[in-house]
Amino acid sequence: MMLARVADSLYWMGRYIERAEHVSRLSAVMLNATLERTAGAAQLGRIGLAALGERDAGRTDETYQAAHNLALDRDVDGSVLVSLARARENARQVRDQISTETWERLNLLYLRVTSARAEPAFDDDPPGFLNEIIADLHHFKGAADTTLSHGEGWRFLLLGVHLERAHLIARLLELCFSDGRTSAVTDPIALMGVLRMACALEPYLRVYTADIDPRFILRFLMFNEEFPRSVRFCTVRMEEFLTQLTREAGAARSLALRLAGRLDARLKYADVSEIEANGASTLLAAVAAECAAIHEATYETFVTYPLELSLPA
Amino acid sequence: MSLDRLAEPGPATDGTVALAAEGYALAAAYDEMFARDGLVRPHYELLRERIAGLGADELGERQRTLERSFLLQGITFTVYGAESGAERIIPTDLFPRIIPASEWAVIEAGLSQRLKALNMFLADIYGEQKILKDGAIPRELVLGAASYRRVMRHLYVPHSAYANVCGSDLIRGEDGAFVVLEDNLRVPSGVSYMLANRDAARRTFPGVYRQAGVRPVERYPDLLLATLKSMASEWRSEPQVVVLTPGVYNSAYYEHAYLARLMGAPLVEGRDLVIHDNRVFMRTTAGLRRVDVIYRRVDDDFIDPLAFRRDSSLGVAGLFNAYRSGNVMICNAPGTGVADDKAVYAYVPGIIRYYLGEDPILPNVETYLCREPAQLSHVLANLKRLVVKAVGASGGFGMLVGPHATAREREAFAEQLRADPANYVAQPVIQLSTAPCLVDGRMEPRHVDLRPFILSGAKVVVTPGALTRVALRRGSLVVNSSQGGGSKDTWVLAEEPRS
Repeated sequence: MMLARVADSLYWMGRYIERAEHVSRLSAVMLNATLERTAGAAQLGRIGLAALGERDAGRTDETYQAAHNLALDRDVDGSVLVSLARARENARQVRDQISTETWERLNLLYLRVTSARAEPAFDDDPPGFLNEIIADLHHFKGAADTTLSHGEGWRFLLLGVHLERAHLIARLLELCFSDGRTSAVTDPIALMGVLRMACALEPYLRVYTADIDPRFILRFLMFNEEFPRSVRFCTVRMEEFLTQLTREAGAARSLALRLAGRLDARLKYADVSEIEANGASTLLAAVAAECAAIHEATYETFVTYPLELSLPA
Repeated sequence: MSLDRLAEPGPATDGTVALAAEGYALAAAYDEMFARDGLVRPHYELLRERIAGLGADELGERQRTLERSFLLQGITFTVYGAESGAERIIPTDLFPRIIPASEWAVIEAGLSQRLKALNMFLADIYGEQKILKDGAIPRELVLGAASYRRVMRHLYVPHSAYANVCGSDLIRGEDGAFVVLEDNLRVPSGVSYMLANRDAARRTFPGVYRQAGVRPVERYPDLLLATLKSMASEWRSEPQVVVLTPGVYNSAYYEHAYLARLMGAPLVEGRDLVIHDNRVFMRTTAGLRRVDVIYRRVDDDFIDPLAFRRDSSLGVAGLFNAYRSGNVMICNAPGTGVADDKAVYAYVPGIIRYYLGEDPILPNVETYLCREPAQLSHVLANLKRLVVKAVGASGGFGMLVGPHATAREREAFAEQLRADPANYVAQPVIQLSTAPCLVDGRMEPRHVDLRPFILSGAKVVVTPGALTRVALRRGSLVVNSSQGGGSKDTWVLAEEPRS
């Protein structure tokens, strides 16, 4: 049992943390790609820009500027700085609920990206700057894992992390593999870049060896049960967290739990060969839509439930 | 520059002691560390040795470490009016202020006595009003005060503990004796800085801390929780305590979150609370949960738009009725502000005598009530030597410091005084005592006050420590953080230093 507002803040803290990490990694991979003068690198640059929500995704010369804005621009929604500032604002709202160790990691990150030294540090070595943010975010997650009680608040935090992650990975895959797209990615350099964007290159190699095949990438990032950035991994966790959260709220079932379970089952029993033959767009679009529905249902179940139903008689 | 000779009493010429290159200028004020003859007071000897051993560079480094640690921990306050939501750390000085055991014994006894009497006073004026009938304090002064809450009449308050948390401001006059400058019985703040400063000072001077035998302050949060629980113990065995905050944009938000975290009590905002059937609930993930005690860090005016200010969005509609019905405790009780009213203040020594039949252990600062025509004319004739304060204001606002004001400012203030004399009191300018502070690599005297925290529930507890506020501008007597004040740790010694 915890304050509904606190649950809300912890959930959003998780989402913003995950978003900041994803955008940092995408930008870093994209910036590295601009160093190569190959068609594959150019393609990767376009995927990156599109995944980051840049509308004018054709112009690779703007990659650097886009990465810069997505890292440090206060006015760009979804920039690393904005996500970190929001995560910290949420953490401040619930400062009494999170450990000092966790709070200090996040506060340090925030102070770093908002300090006057951030701009020159980015200009000096953009991928280095972004990789340091990623490392610090891992530090934050480690501190959270080892110092927070793994109770209700923790589950709301991680529900946010995994829901955001499932959504972001599905969106990245949609850009690369959606049928009807003229430029389905086939270039090995670009494909390796996509794996890097999901922090998945090394784990992929261990499963599928250096056989870089779009079908295997889709399989790995969609259905792998062990890799923490696959969509399936996230849906398993979401269902698990929602099962416990629902029980802790004193209910046997909830809409959010039912939706999460259904999404997980859909991935678990998906016909992989059928998807490989006909394209994954339907499933990927469904993942995005289901994540949005789970988000809404979570709110209705735990945060914005109607008061009249819970007043003592 | 080395600080080796920092505290060596050099050739003393007209009150100036050569301690560092520039000298540590002792003025008319009482100095916490150095006696008039330039010798170090015995309870500061250990610290002096350590400071001299560290040297200026190392001290500077430790000061920076301390500031970084405060920033990292988020020990900041929000600056009102500045760039939206700007956060600053409260400037914190490295050197602890040390109070010997014998002096603390007087402070402790004096503060307990004072708070007991003030709680009895509140119980009386919201009850039988005996003191008003006996004429020991003018009726209109109490009942006419803006902070008097008529709605509190005849309400039962357990243990008669109206002010559960009190932070009184003490100062030392030129003779070194502690006097009470004002009481703070509404929502006193600063206790988190006391605790954070302690953490920092212990890291900065670990050896001195251990050797000196400093009394711990770490129990404040659990004593506060026990105090709050004792307010509901008559009708609940395990009362649910919450801390009510106006939210993250409040300047003291850090403190609200800090106390909630260390008490293990939920930190709630008005929007988290729901009143149903005159009972208070908080909105949780598992539905509504009953709330029994609210440690509110929101002013009276804002706790309930139905009972007090209608335009408040910070409070909870119906909260006061739930309180009146006895279904929830609000701590401090609404209406305690009347006991720290600046005009009522002048009567506190009389209040102590009236209820306890004892002489006050801690004296007041001499105070002129401008509502009395004779005292008003005295104040007007002596504006240059007096501090004039508006009765209802706080935070160092709405006041005139006579000696520091221009003739024109004094004239303008005199106009306001004549127009509404009842709204003002005046006091002589007191040279607050000075304590050594690290300023630009040198040790310099700065004026300080002392804010101890007193808890009152089933019993009265004085925390053996305090927030020492520092006026960081040279010569300034204003210690408020909103006006360039800082703070430092306060060490209360368990025993007298061996000489």
